[in-house]
Amino acid sequence: MITLRALTKRFGETTAVDELTVDIGPGRVTGFLGPNGAGKSTTMRLILGLDRPTAGQALIGGRPYRELRRPLHEIGALLDARALHPARSGRAHLFAMAASNGIPKRRVDEVLATVGLDDRAAAKPARALSLGMGQRLGIAGALLGDPPVLMFDEPVNGLDPDGVRWIRQLSRSLAAEGRTVLISSHLMSEMQQTADWLVVLGQGRLIADAPTAQVITGSGLAVRVRSPRPAGLAALADRLTAAGAVVESGETDELTVTGSTVERIGELAYELGVPLHELAAQEASLERAFMALTADHVEYPAGAGGAA
Amino acid sequence: MTTIRAEWTKLRTVRSTWWTVLASVVLMAAAAGQLAIYVANGNTNDDPSDDAGVVPVGTVLVDSLELVQYAVLALGLLMITSEFTTGTIRTTLQCTPSRGRLLLAKAAVTAAVTFGLGLLLGGAGALVASPVLGEWGAVPAAGTLRDVVALAAYLALIGVLALGLGAVLRSAVLTLTVLLAVLMIVPVSLREPDINALHRIADALPGEAGKHLLAGDGQPYPPVVALLLLAGWAAVALLAGRAALHRRDA
Repeated sequence: MITLRALTKRFGETTAVDELTVDIGPGRVTGFLGPNGAGKSTTMRLILGLDRPTAGQALIGGRPYRELRRPLHEIGALLDARALHPARSGRAHLFAMAASNGIPKRRVDEVLATVGLDDRAAAKPARALSLGMGQRLGIAGALLGDPPVLMFDEPVNGLDPDGVRWIRQLSRSLAAEGRTVLISSHLMSEMQQTADWLVVLGQGRLIADAPTAQVITGSGLAVRVRSPRPAGLAALADRLTAAGAVVESGETDELTVTGSTVERIGELAYELGVPLHELAAQEASLERAFMALTADHVEYPAGAGGAA
Repeated sequence: MTTIRAEWTKLRTVRSTWWTVLASVVLMAAAAGQLAIYVANGNTNDDPSDDAGVVPVGTVLVDSLELVQYAVLALGLLMITSEFTTGTIRTTLQCTPSRGRLLLAKAAVTAAVTFGLGLLLGGAGALVASPVLGEWGAVPAAGTLRDVVALAAYLALIGVLALGLGAVLRSAVLTLTVLLAVLMIVPVSLREPDINALHRIADALPGEAGKHLLAGDGQPYPPVVALLLLAGWAAVALLAGRAALHRRDA
């Protein structure tokens, strides 16, 4: 369980994390979502006590990170897979981590096997590791202390499709064992497939804290509208926007509308006398929901902190 | 103890550590050999004004250290600055969130390694210097042992000083520059105008305390005071390093 209470971090004038209050609960994969610069990484660094909060608190199992004595047994984290000493082997890196928390050496071989790094790869100096192997090494380090909480910052970066699938399965099985799993990403399709729950951040503020399915459908399904008359389409767009829907124009003869329904748009088109060549509900996607969310900065009241 | 073991693991699993050790031993052998040749030449040439007479081998060792100490200092400051350049400081602080415990463990490893290295350097230097000195060298057992142990203690304490300073400054180049200034340039500048008060200040600086410790001359203070002064400087550097690690984002 990760608990954030009015967590705030300012760097000079800029506010990276703004009064963030949220609980990351156990037994599910929580996706930590937001555009680059939304404050995801800063939040994770605050959780690990690497940055000092300007105000508020970040707690792991009820305690601040800096008070943990053997923290690898409480929370395992992968922040930056590139942060390795280039001349030290992956195995030595893990040995040092294990030694610091009184973890027996054989556990290093166990986690290396779990992440699929063989003896040859683990003996290489870190500079010779690919980004994907570095990610696996980082995850091995996170698993060392068999912690109840795991946190991965952009873990699928640099992984091939096999690696991406592996991360997804690993995250799911860790959550199924009852652990708290927090994964940040800016890849929405990936989150849609992996996360049961989403915490969405925009400009350091909490935008959504709800089950993934609810976030996707919550902003309404998207509807695709095509018409040969651009002027009519523009008029339709104006009316829809005025009614609170979000309208994106793609091709000149096409609109994508969220926050409305096929029925409502059809009636409006009839009213305005706009001939339609297509009026179809799109498959719901997190990407669209996310754009609608961040465009409006709507807060998601539903389900906050529930179902833990 | 777990943190000490982790720091020792990190130090020994990087090849540059062993290159630094090797480099300092080679440097010591070369410097001691050269200084011994100077002594022997001075005593045997036609110019009686540069005769040094019979020289204790410890003096040659101490003089050689003037240069060799910087290779050993590098070991101390790299313990922490390399963590900042590679980003491993974040993993390290994840494993050991207590900044004080981390720095103490690093200090223990640095001190132990540089002390051991000091003994090795003393032995290697004596081994090279005594045959070169020949009849002009004296190797009194107790005196030489005292010189070698003092040398090792000096290296251990300035190694810890370098570590603390590195934690504050975070950059290896900057730390080495400041160390060079504190150990050599500042005391020399302070002595330049030959004012009593400035001499006193210079005497209190770590480099000068080291010289008095190594010389064992008892002037202006006994070696024990020199040792305490050095230890005090090392402790201050560690405290400053801890404060910096605590306050600043990693």
